[in-house]
Amino acid sequence: MVSNAHGSPVKALLVEDIAVCTFVLSAMLRRFNCEIGVANNGKEAVDFFLDGKKFDIVLCDKDMPIMSGPEAVEKIRALGETDVMIVGVSADDNAMEAFMNAGADVFVHKPMKLETLGTMIQEVINKKNAMI
Amino acid sequence: MVGNRIVSAPTLSPRSLRHRRRCRSFEFRPSLPPTTYSLRPTPRRLRPPAGSPVSPELIAMAAVELKNQLNAHIASMFAAGFLDKQFQELQMLQDDGSSPGFVSEVVGLFIDDAEKITGLIAGLLDQPVVDFDKVDALVHQLKGSSASVGAQRVKLSCEQFHSYYEAKNRDGCVMALALLRNEFYDSRSKFQTMFQLEQQIEACS
Repeated sequence: MVSNAHGSPVKALLVEDIAVCTFVLSAMLRRFNCEIGVANNGKEAVDFFLDGKKFDIVLCDKDMPIMSGPEAVEKIRALGETDVMIVGVSADDNAMEAFMNAGADVFVHKPMKLETLGTMIQEVINKKNAMI
Repeated sequence: MVGNRIVSAPTLSPRSLRHRRRCRSFEFRPSLPPTTYSLRPTPRRLRPPAGSPVSPELIAMAAVELKNQLNAHIASMFAAGFLDKQFQELQMLQDDGSSPGFVSEVVGLFIDDAEKITGLIAGLLDQPVVDFDKVDALVHQLKGSSASVGAQRVKLSCEQFHSYYEAKNRDGCVMALALLRNEFYDSRSKFQTMFQLEQQIEACS
């Protein structure tokens, strides 16, 4: 059971170009009462941060048009966004190294399980609560 | 008609109709008390008049039977490898009550996506010079989408495709696409049966 003792929803950014994957992951994030932003590629994700938007967690696919996931992660970290939890998500077995080298915190094989997402969301909540 | 006049048939009173029926289909049945005579049933199936309500008990029985059929169908899809555990994740997301119709919506998205992608791959393989990078990207997309809904056979077919476009083997890709399409059409048919049963269950409620 994911609990948020202080009431503010977790702000999640979903970076995914495949509509079906976006649909399923969005439903999972809603299950945990997250506020959801969606980017269709790495460039859109970076633009969110350049526009001053803040997120608690980013779920990022690897292979996307215009800008890949690892490239976007690298740019987001280069903007000084070190507090946001970045999760690399991919069906590609070789994706973990690319994401971790780019600065992601966690890598998860696609498809994401609800329980796995719940654990990560709870970790984000605990971190937020500890900072208050 | 008689001559130029339209003559309506004489109307039969209910009493005369009952008399006619008794004379035509009378049968004595020794199992019944001697003063009771039963009528042989007419060949036509008796149906309630149109618009008459069906009993709630019958509707409930139909719903139970349909649910049993649906559960058996889904179980057979798992047993035959059409579905994997990811489908159960989707069912969990629907079963909490906040997203009714979620499974049918996401599977519908997958089916539309898969139809479009397989068509695009066929088009690419038909070109004089095949862009295998684009084929790779499309197969990857279909693999991700099938994995997200738990369409295991389609996902596995995408994985098998990989070696052919890696080797830039057009004939191999054409064969792999044919296999992929077969698996997709079979999966689509199974999903459609599932949703038809769900709609019938919904109609009973």
